Amino acid sequence: MQVNDMLAVGLNHYLFLSAIIFSIGILTVLLRKNLIVILMGIELMLNAVNLSFIAFSHFSNNANGPVIVFFVMTLAAAEAGVGLALMVTIFKRFKVVDISIFEKLKN
Amino acid sequence: MLSTFTTMDLYLLSPMILLFIFSLVPVFTKVLNKNNEPSDMMSLYLPLIGIVFAFIATCGIILIKIVNGAPKLIFSGSIMVDGLAMWSVIIVLFITFFALVLIKESSFTPKHLFSEYVMLMLNAAVGMMVVAYSNDFILTFIGIEMASLCLYMLIAMSEETRLSKEAAIKYFVLGSLASAILLYGIAFIFGTTGTTQFAEITETAATLASTSRLFLVGCVLVFVGLGFKVSIFPFHFWTPDVYQGSSSPLTAFMAAGIKAVCFAALLRFFATGFLAVDRASGLVSTIQWLAVMSMMLGNIAALRQNHLKRILAYSSIAHSGYLLMGLLVVGLSTNSVLGASGTLFYLFSYAIMTIGAFGFLSLFEKSENSMVTVDHLKGLAYRRPYLALVISIFMLSLAGIPPLLGFFSKFYIFSAAMKQGLYWLVIWGVVSSVISVYFYLKPVVYMYMKQEDEALVGEFKDSASVSFTVGVSAALIVIVGLSSGPLYALIRGSVLSLF
Repeated sequence: MQVNDMLAVGLNHYLFLSAIIFSIGILTVLLRKNLIVILMGIELMLNAVNLSFIAFSHFSNNANGPVIVFFVMTLAAAEAGVGLALMVTIFKRFKVVDISIFEKLKN
Repeated sequence: MLSTFTTMDLYLLSPMILLFIFSLVPVFTKVLNKNNEPSDMMSLYLPLIGIVFAFIATCGIILIKIVNGAPKLIFSGSIMVDGLAMWSVIIVLFITFFALVLIKESSFTPKHLFSEYVMLMLNAAVGMMVVAYSNDFILTFIGIEMASLCLYMLIAMSEETRLSKEAAIKYFVLGSLASAILLYGIAFIFGTTGTTQFAEITETAATLASTSRLFLVGCVLVFVGLGFKVSIFPFHFWTPDVYQGSSSPLTAFMAAGIKAVCFAALLRFFATGFLAVDRASGLVSTIQWLAVMSMMLGNIAALRQNHLKRILAYSSIAHSGYLLMGLLVVGLSTNSVLGASGTLFYLFSYAIMTIGAFGFLSLFEKSENSMVTVDHLKGLAYRRPYLALVISIFMLSLAGIPPLLGFFSKFYIFSAAMKQGLYWLVIWGVVSSVISVYFYLKPVVYMYMKQEDEALVGEFKDSASVSFTVGVSAALIVIVGLSSGPLYALIRGSVLSLF
């Protein structure tokens, strides 16, 4: 262990960054009411995961990580497509894109 | 490593490929037909025939495996062809067939978008089959997402305009959250083991579980993500709302299909053996409590409900609890055959009971905003004796009364847990089964012992498809129940030789 290893950016730094971004995403999904912002939160979570996949594969010389990231990006795009389509339906019916109108299913 | 690829590999995947090809038939005919809705032949019967073909192919694969033991792992080890995969595929095909039969007559189905509806349903089934086949976390994730994305749209496409949209959005937000958590867990497992394939994780899981904290965190996150999809206790809150908002055939499809394949994925995950070390004992007792809470909460919450669909939704949470018991047996024992075959048998019988129960519910769902309550069933036995008889069969089987199928599925799972030494878990299971008898018998009592309420008796539309589905599943419950030994031996044999 050399002294300047302390200053180099290592695996743990990436993992902490990804954990912070993931937590911001989770909090966004759980706390915000606007559906578009919720969708942004979900994208944030998926991208945080992508970051940790890349970090893991970079620091262990494993080429599988980037491949997985491509799959995840494709799925995230598909999910955003479906989510936005659902929002358009909601907007047509209720004229708002907000989950606070959904208090009716409670019996 | 150069991966070899043979015709045999393609044949082993043929159920999936066949189903996908047949799913394209309705939309293609629609496009070629200048966007007019094609005939029933093209949009309904041809996909049904496709499902039958896929079923025959699956039986063929099982026969080939029994005769000459074809390769287990194909496509560079990311696809596993074993008893678990084949039985899950059979469950998915069964549930898709009958859901498709029911969906045509359902009043929620959009008539002008029927071919798209069928395509989405078959693609959801293909996604479920991908999960069943997968030996790779990434493939599992892709399959779950494929099935879920189709289901979000299927729920939202309903003719009903309020509850279904709310259900779709709720399912979408919570489902995506669960997928992201699952993926984060996969990232940690990938980081610590260097692979995403179950077979390779198995080699290092036991050592890593006792040395690496990151690996255990990954396992917990994967369990949480999949637990959302199968509605285990703290992650169950979306279930009643989503089930209520979708049409009954679709609810059966999603309840039984998604649950079957996600439990298959959980089985493969638990079979890696990360729970069998001392360090994971805290995790084991947490999962035990989650199983107990799912059983108790599902059954007790169902006691207070009057709305039949919500009763079935809460009971599905309880059934997840029973299944979790089987999973624990797989996770704790070195030999996973007993737990795995018990769980598979339970999933199989749950699929039969679910399609029957939601099938008869769709008879009562006449208008778009109808809420079918227990009161609607009052005095049904005098007007419709046969219907009342089959409803009683479903309810008694779900409650687990011998000699029906539901009893034997519970029996096998409880006896597997007993052999593993999980005695008090079994006691909790039996107690919660006894509680559940109350709300399962309530509809039966109402049908046979109450006078009918004139205000609630409406027009009663008979439908051949519902009679067919309900009749077949009731017959299966009785026949398979009476001869459960051979079927269980068959499942056990195929799991034993192929797992």
